[in-house]
Amino acid sequence: MTKHNKIFYYFYKLSLSTLFFVFIFCLLNLQTSLSFFLIFEISTPSLISIMIYLYIVKFNLNPSNIILLLTGFLHDIMIGNNVGTTSIFLLLFKYFTYSIILEKINKKNQEDWIYFTIIFIFSFVIVLLFNLIINFSIPELSPIFFHVGITLILYPIINTSINLFSFVSRLIKS
Amino acid sequence: MVSGKPSNLKSFKNSRNFNFILIFLCLTLVFLGKLDLIAIRNVKAFLSDFLAPVTYAINKPVKEIAGVFEDVKSAGSLREENIRLKSEVRKLKVINSKASSQELELLELRQLLKVLPEKKNNIITGRAITAPGGVFANTVLINAGEDFGIKVGQPAISSLGLVGYVVNVGLKTSRILLLIDINSMIPVYLTNSNWPAVVQGQSGKLLKIKFLSSKAEPIDGEVVQTSGHGNRLPAGINVGKIVKSFSGKFYVAPTVEFHRLTYISIITNKTSQPFFSKTFDGFAPLQKPESSINLKGLNLSGKRVIESLDN
Repeated sequence: MTKHNKIFYYFYKLSLSTLFFVFIFCLLNLQTSLSFFLIFEISTPSLISIMIYLYIVKFNLNPSNIILLLTGFLHDIMIGNNVGTTSIFLLLFKYFTYSIILEKINKKNQEDWIYFTIIFIFSFVIVLLFNLIINFSIPELSPIFFHVGITLILYPIINTSINLFSFVSRLIKS
Repeated sequence: MVSGKPSNLKSFKNSRNFNFILIFLCLTLVFLGKLDLIAIRNVKAFLSDFLAPVTYAINKPVKEIAGVFEDVKSAGSLREENIRLKSEVRKLKVINSKASSQELELLELRQLLKVLPEKKNNIITGRAITAPGGVFANTVLINAGEDFGIKVGQPAISSLGLVGYVVNVGLKTSRILLLIDINSMIPVYLTNSNWPAVVQGQSGKLLKIKFLSSKAEPIDGEVVQTSGHGNRLPAGINVGKIVKSFSGKFYVAPTVEFHRLTYISIITNKTSQPFFSKTFDGFAPLQKPESSINLKGLNLSGKRVIESLDN
């Protein structure tokens, strides 16, 4: 009986991980394709970091390192990036989210936008510096600032929309 | 609200070392990728081929929606657009009449000088599958690969000018490094003054001008074309126009609108040739030019010759 439960548990875990993998892979592709819009012509927002942050902080789920690594690899291959760059960003983002939010900061704190800003900028700057070292060249800064700025603006909008959606669904249920 | 399950925190603490190992692995992979190993290139090409339909399926609806937004936006300014187009047509008619008379003159001069005829380019056109997005990379995947004779190094163009060049080829897909990418460097010349230079992408909208002589005086709006130096790209393809920044520095604004790329053509009879061929035996001293009839007063290299000194 216990053996069957274990198998069921592993299948459950596997299906959850697969779903998460498909979700973030599609999200990464969607994020890239946003550059078709005139407004995101310079640079696209990092939707993936917003979703991972909400996944960890709001839904209390732990995204697997292997899934983040694989998705990052596939995304790098699809957009022609140096293989590993996106994976480093995702892994660093997860690491900082856990270390800052779950360890250092009081859990009753409400200012998650500021924490998201700190975590996102920290992880992004590390990856940016790493890219500067690899390319031996300084890129134009306007797309980078736009990328950071638009991500930080979109975070509260997405967060509020999710809150509103859950509030309405609870209201309908009750 | 910031919250976290204690169980999650515990599992994170356990997996922290694993997290660092994975980051280290990624760093190693980035460096290996930078070495441009054939094995890694082949794996990338295979995976690009494999994932291309999925990416296309995800990108397609977003592209369509973006198109609808653009249509709606342009519908608002139809009147102004119409006036602008009418004046442009008038200007083009004048230019066209001048060009047709100059074309005849050019043909006559070419015949007179016995200029070698230019080789016609073979062109393969593919559809862009991915968007040129990305903060660190600016590349586009097209749905034509080795099957159509596409090879690494071949130039990619659109109706407006140079798009970039092929950096990776799979069986069904090819990856094009765009002009604006930080790793892209193109030999060009300024069409008014004829000064050669190299333009480098900055992962932004403008291209940096490098190795331009200090004597050169670029003009705002001057057209920049490929010079064909290094035999990597054909000469005379439009790259962009010179623009002056607020700081007084000159940049090149590409003529191609990268976010609107739908079809991209590859010039397939142009492949970057390796500098050293298989039969290369080493350098030999320059041979004396054979005696031939030159233009009066000029030697083979085009320099003026004073006849009294020669005799």
